[in-house]
Amino acid sequence: MPIDCKHIRNFSIIAHIDHGKSTLADRLLEFTGTVEKRQLKEQMLDDMELERQRGITIKARAVRMEYVHKGERYELNLIDTPGHVDFHYEVSRSLACCEGAVLLVDAFQGVEAQTVANAYAAINQDLAIVPVINKIDLAYARVDEVLVEMEQSLAIDSAEVIKASAKAGIGIEDLLAAIVERVPPPKGDPNAVLRAMIFDSHYDSYRGAITYVRLVDGTIQKGQKIRFLETGTTHEVIELGQFVPQRRACESLSAGQVGYLVCNIKDVKQVHIGDTVTIPGDAAAAALPGYKPPQRMVYCGLYPSEGENFEELRDALEKLAINDPSFEYQPESSEALGFGFRCGFLGLLHMEIIQQRLEKEADLDLVQTAPNVTYQILKSTGETIEITNPQDVPDSGQIEEFRQPIVRTNFLVPAEFIGPIMQLCTDRRGTYLKTEYLSPTRAMLTFDLPLAEVIYDLHDKLKSVTRGYGTMDYELVGYFPADLVRLDILVGGKKVDALSIICDRRDADRRGRAIVKKLRGEIDRHMFEIALQAAIGTKVIARETISAMRKNVTAKCYGGDISRKKKLWAKQKEGKKRMKSIGSVDIPQKAFMAVLDTGGTERT
Amino acid sequence: MNIRHAYVHVPFCRHRCGYCDFTLVAGRDDLVERYFSAIERELSRVETPLHLDTLYLGGGTPSHLGPRGLRRLFGILRTRLASAAQCEVTVEANPLDVTDAFVEAAADCGVTRVSLGGQSLDATTLRALDRDHAPVDVVAAAERLRQRGIVVNLDLMIAAPGQSVADVDRDLEAAVGLSSEHVSVYCLTWEKGTAFDSQRRKGLVAAVDETVERAMFERAIDRLEAAGYEHYEVSNFARPGFRCRHNEAYWDCRPWEAFGPGAARFDGRTRSTNHRSVTAWIDRVLAGADFTGDRDAMTDEQAARERIVVGLRRRDGIDRGPFLDASGFELDTLSGSAIGGWVAAGLAIDDGRRVRLTREGMLLSDGLWADVLGA
Ligand code: SF4
Repeated sequence: MPIDCKHIRNFSIIAHIDHGKSTLADRLLEFTGTVEKRQLKEQMLDDMELERQRGITIKARAVRMEYVHKGERYELNLIDTPGHVDFHYEVSRSLACCEGAVLLVDAFQGVEAQTVANAYAAINQDLAIVPVINKIDLAYARVDEVLVEMEQSLAIDSAEVIKASAKAGIGIEDLLAAIVERVPPPKGDPNAVLRAMIFDSHYDSYRGAITYVRLVDGTIQKGQKIRFLETGTTHEVIELGQFVPQRRACESLSAGQVGYLVCNIKDVKQVHIGDTVTIPGDAAAAALPGYKPPQRMVYCGLYPSEGENFEELRDALEKLAINDPSFEYQPESSEALGFGFRCGFLGLLHMEIIQQRLEKEADLDLVQTAPNVTYQILKSTGETIEITNPQDVPDSGQIEEFRQPIVRTNFLVPAEFIGPIMQLCTDRRGTYLKTEYLSPTRAMLTFDLPLAEVIYDLHDKLKSVTRGYGTMDYELVGYFPADLVRLDILVGGKKVDALSIICDRRDADRRGRAIVKKLRGEIDRHMFEIALQAAIGTKVIARETISAMRKNVTAKCYGGDISRKKKLWAKQKEGKKRMKSIGSVDIPQKAFMAVLDTGGTERT
Repeated sequence: MNIRHAYVHVPFCRHRCGYCDFTLVAGRDDLVERYFSAIERELSRVETPLHLDTLYLGGGTPSHLGPRGLRRLFGILRTRLASAAQCEVTVEANPLDVTDAFVEAAADCGVTRVSLGGQSLDATTLRALDRDHAPVDVVAAAERLRQRGIVVNLDLMIAAPGQSVADVDRDLEAAVGLSSEHVSVYCLTWEKGTAFDSQRRKGLVAAVDETVERAMFERAIDRLEAAGYEHYEVSNFARPGFRCRHNEAYWDCRPWEAFGPGAARFDGRTRSTNHRSVTAWIDRVLAGADFTGDRDAMTDEQAARERIVVGLRRRDGIDRGPFLDASGFELDTLSGSAIGGWVAAGLAIDDGRRVRLTREGMLLSDGLWADVLGA
């Protein structure tokens, strides 16, 4: 007998980072008796070690809880969402599995950029919003002001806001009651043809891919044959069940429920987030709307620091990709760095996470080139190509249109910082769209900005100009033409392919100067003079020189002196090993990130 | 093993010069007695007395012991360290200490060579170097030693704070005028933890620009060579027949014994350095505890590679035949490709038999050794 939809509630918690989402989730699990208090690891839902380290949720998770309200027993499915902008698409897929969202706002921090972004994402998907103001027990809580902000920015009736403290366990019962009362039950027909959405997956080394699904219609049984519409593959359900929060197998799942499938799938690449699960054959249900392939926004080159580790790097990347289908890699070669891979990521955070895993799990020493966004080029032949590596930019004669990704960016800042934000965005060639006041003291500014200007350091700059109070969020608007050029860097007269960047022509001088200056500081003096040049095509636009070393000789070499000196020389040798030689110039690995130096201080 | 060379470290100075990071104590003459006991104790390691070709008393300032102290020390040393015929016995001295009585004592003890810590013959430079003697003291000391037939080395320091190339030229003229048998020239180095280094960090003094420093050093080489000195190792110049045989033993990688705090000995494969703290060394020796600090144990190949480094720092460079005989390795097996690269870059000259660095190569030589020492 399938569970009746009216006893199911599916919801997410959405919040700005640090507003207490994980603590609240833990409290709900504890309060509903899903886990006992002593079993609670901190941040139950973030089970990847890295997530715990960084205190952010990267991958969606789903937990089933039971709660008795007014004598009726309910199944509550909490679907966790990633908190970072890199994982926007996964957020939207998770929300698509819910009928409601708990909107959590910190009683001191107030409404922030991701609060707005996530709340709008939920509102746009017609979810019922259960607003919560968290940390009300803190001495510096400013509950009334934050209520006004919520009303102004998100049209939330302050009477509906539940006042809670996840940490102190205040308001948890009210919240559970509100979830049951305000979040509508899922609409779905358990007797219709099976239709379920995949909203996440992860890889288990024993069971293969674990596929997370929300059933929309129909039921699914153990042993049944199913079909993934997007990938067009058919599988047998070997196990299915729910997370409580560990996996618990059951015989069937029906419309409205959330759970997992194990289908003996060895490669997560076959499991596409947003894909529809149905039955094989002609009677299959139609696809659910909204599937999009993951969009990689940022690319960089990853090279083994010692060339012979190429195969090891390939193995490590393959392993990572098994667990993370949104990450992509392709072999490439660079004159400067040898054989490596061009890797695509959802965003910069995603890139950092992958890189950390590589270094940690595979123990590989890597050279990373500076990340770049993807560009589009319309060639004079009429063909449009995607550029993920500055090296692939064709001659200017062949370029009809050079396009870059533009993102719409919202900044939520105390009103006194509007000026500095305007300045910051104008410097980065942003287009101002609007300012909205959430309260007399807090404003939301919206700009369209080149993604390239956003990802590298805008977040840090925002934090510094707003003394930590500003927050931002962005989403891709599209690719738009701009006057872009490839800037090459020459070291000792030789072009170093891995140092080329794409930038706005108007910024080229400044960037070029900043890069060669930075490189001058990164590259040690050699026995000969080294010229550092930045050039567009054959035209040199900036130049620096590293003068030759004139004298480098140990004066005293008596008795025990040489033992001491040998240690120093050995250190130099170690250092040298980790450098890349271009011609006869040794370039330290971190110099390959020098191109990120935007010459910020020179901006006017 | 037949050890023919010994070093004794005498860790006492009147005051610590601002640039100095050697193993020494200043103003702690109260420790001298215990030091003598400890040296005596450490010497008991030597079971049968050594017959030495060279003995070197360095410091610190051995002359700070004074004539009586020097006699005491030699009295102790002679129980285990005997001089073979023609033994070179060097004592380092502060010019201020070189009195008639001191010279007398030195001669009585069999000292054949005194290394004078003159550093400069210019009053301003001496002050800049935080030294406690005057130019006349250097001249007087050298004269006294010469009259007694003792060979003199003059230590010269260049690239002192505030020193100009012209200052160095004047110092070189004065040094040549002194006509010591041997001259050592050192560019001032800014060692971590010294008073000079901390003043530099605070911006109170500035190091001489590297290009200027090089010019100074080249002037020294040119002037001393013109005056008839052979530039036989990076920092060392000698009139024919007056090279420091003790130091040459180091560079020939011959085994040597060493006693005293911070002193390093070598048995042909392993170099062991005594504890660098004066008091810790004394305490440990007297307590019968292990007083050795670092131990640099090398394989035959590592020792051979080190031999390349110290060999190439000498003007004579390395002769392939004797190198093979002494080390058991072909020079080119160990470093052939590096040497080829240096020759191509004008840093070395190779006549097929002998390899030696050019002046350019010598001046930049620290940058070459990583390639030699690597496995
Ligand atoms: S006299 Fe020599 S050993 Fe003593 S402190 Fe001065 S430089 Fe150092």
